[in-house]
Amino acid sequence: MAKKVGIVAGSISRFDNPRHTLQEEMCAEAVKMILDDLPDLEIGDFIKKGYACCYSYFSDILEQQQCMHWIIHDYLGLSAVPAYRVESGGATPIDAIVNAALWVRSGMFPVVLVVGWEKMNELPIQKVNEAIAIAGDTDWDFVSGFTYNAFYATLEARRMHVYGETEEDLAEVATLCHNNSLDNPYAQWPAQHGFSKITVEDVYKSRLISWPYRLYECAMTSEGASAMLLANEEMTRKLTDNPVWITGVGFGTDTMRPGDRPDNPAWKGLYPEDEKIWPKEIPRPMSPYPDLTNFGSLRVAARMAYKDAGVKNPRKEISLVEIFDPYAGVVLAGLEDFDFCKRGEGKKLLREGVIAPDGELPCQLSGALTAQGHAVGSTSVAQVVDVYWQLSNQIGKKWGAPGRQLGNPKKGFIHGHGGTGCQAGAVVLEV
Amino acid sequence: MMKQPGPEKVLKEQKIDEKYWDKWEREGGWRPVGWKIIEMNDGTTLNNLKPSQFMVVHRPHADFYHHSYGKVSKFFMGLLEGKLYGTKCPKCGLVYCPPRAHCFNPKCRLAETEWIELPKKGEVYSYTIMVIAWPSMAHLQPLVGVMVRVDGTNTCLPMTMRDIDPEKVNIGLKVNIHVEKQARGDLLDVYATPAEEPKPPQRTPEELKRFRDDMEKTRAWVKKTFG
Repeated sequence: MAKKVGIVAGSISRFDNPRHTLQEEMCAEAVKMILDDLPDLEIGDFIKKGYACCYSYFSDILEQQQCMHWIIHDYLGLSAVPAYRVESGGATPIDAIVNAALWVRSGMFPVVLVVGWEKMNELPIQKVNEAIAIAGDTDWDFVSGFTYNAFYATLEARRMHVYGETEEDLAEVATLCHNNSLDNPYAQWPAQHGFSKITVEDVYKSRLISWPYRLYECAMTSEGASAMLLANEEMTRKLTDNPVWITGVGFGTDTMRPGDRPDNPAWKGLYPEDEKIWPKEIPRPMSPYPDLTNFGSLRVAARMAYKDAGVKNPRKEISLVEIFDPYAGVVLAGLEDFDFCKRGEGKKLLREGVIAPDGELPCQLSGALTAQGHAVGSTSVAQVVDVYWQLSNQIGKKWGAPGRQLGNPKKGFIHGHGGTGCQAGAVVLEV
Repeated sequence: MMKQPGPEKVLKEQKIDEKYWDKWEREGGWRPVGWKIIEMNDGTTLNNLKPSQFMVVHRPHADFYHHSYGKVSKFFMGLLEGKLYGTKCPKCGLVYCPPRAHCFNPKCRLAETEWIELPKKGEVYSYTIMVIAWPSMAHLQPLVGVMVRVDGTNTCLPMTMRDIDPEKVNIGLKVNIHVEKQARGDLLDVYATPAEEPKPPQRTPEELKRFRDDMEKTRAWVKKTFG
């Protein structure tokens, strides 16, 4: 079995809201950039040489269209080529990449094109929130009056209670992400708000959404598209002399309803080291990890991807990280669930500057969901593309910001998830 | 011997105004009710924007679902009588609210659960203060949202909380659970009130000031919008 999967090219058609460009047009823009990068790749090769496509978009409701990928596929000139859509909420784009990588590894397809997009400006914003929220259980979660903002807020309130995270920590995460996005020409934050740095005070001035979360600590709703071309080792070396490899993939799950997690017997004993970390003064649930404080699906996905890639010590081996952060606290939880620190210590990595752009483990260099944007089906494809550009030394060319290129990064880790961590995926990239 | 499952017999019914909803669905029928032509910069990155023109149509779309609660219908039938039901696994003893008809403990191999009536008491497992709630609940903002572990259960049920100052709600607070007198048959019929004097979470003076300002702003907006 061909284990090596190469990233041959990647592209982003920028995040904004609105974009006033149809889904198929944004996808064509992204795929066109890949074709421009690869003059030897012919669209006709896809059917002649047995390539395939894997499409990523989240919501039929937001698009007001079912089977949108059928429109995209023939628009790109790819009719007759094998293709299907992957959908798993917010995990859609990362799962599409994982899926495409496994197709290549299976030996079935030498080359797979991944295209992800979303339109999120067609409904009024409350209805957009509602459309997203019905990815939660509509009989038991959604009809409690909670939106996702509210559910993530209850998860963060629990992190504050159990670990002592503060409102300042959340505001610092938001500040980091927004300021990271300022040189990113694909990012929505600078497109809408200009190119000046923000401070923690600016975050505090942004409106409260669902305590403790404020506007700048929540993902943007966006429109945009992105694409990646994956290939087996032989085709990768044929098509590019600057490849990056997907050496590890993983995915995991947890309960649909976060309220079902504290005593869930399926988790008991899975991560004994994490179960030991629990404050004495707080009643201990039957399954102390993940509880509502952490995301078990992220842990399962990350450990699978590390094992697959042969990563033994993620904190030492990984050069940069993109976390899927619909809400600021997920960055801190993620650092723990991905084994970059012990549970409860995510805030330490933030406070000590470890995840700053000049830190040992730069995180969210793109600005991620709160600043680069969150056009759901495109989000993780774009985050993987951002890391791919860093690892292949293309930030100067692709961002027009050579100052933001990291010096000699070796390995990148990117994760995505859906719901309240109901489903998660992760990939390890290597030069 | 094989039998046919139907026809369905209606035992009790809260009738709907079919004419009203037919009209509503017909009006939300996809045809544009307005449009606009706009100009905006367009391009794939912020480095290559050019002015472009676009047309936008306003296109309503209304749906009306008829949803069966399946084997957990008893929970919602209970709400109509002001009662709270959960399910219990006869094998491992896990108690579910939200109820499950089959136990999710991997050891129990999807054992069928049994119904039990639950006390209308519980404890806050986590909480939030919603200042952007559902459009239909906007007039109630700021709205306290709590994940309540109903006494004797192994799960949490999300609901809103009344009769409490938002700054006082905290994890561990004991609550009473209520069912609306005019229950409509969904989880929004259920809400909590404090069952003890709340012990508020620790906040720095700056955090407390910010919190109070936020609540004041929210209440002012609600007053201005809804009177």
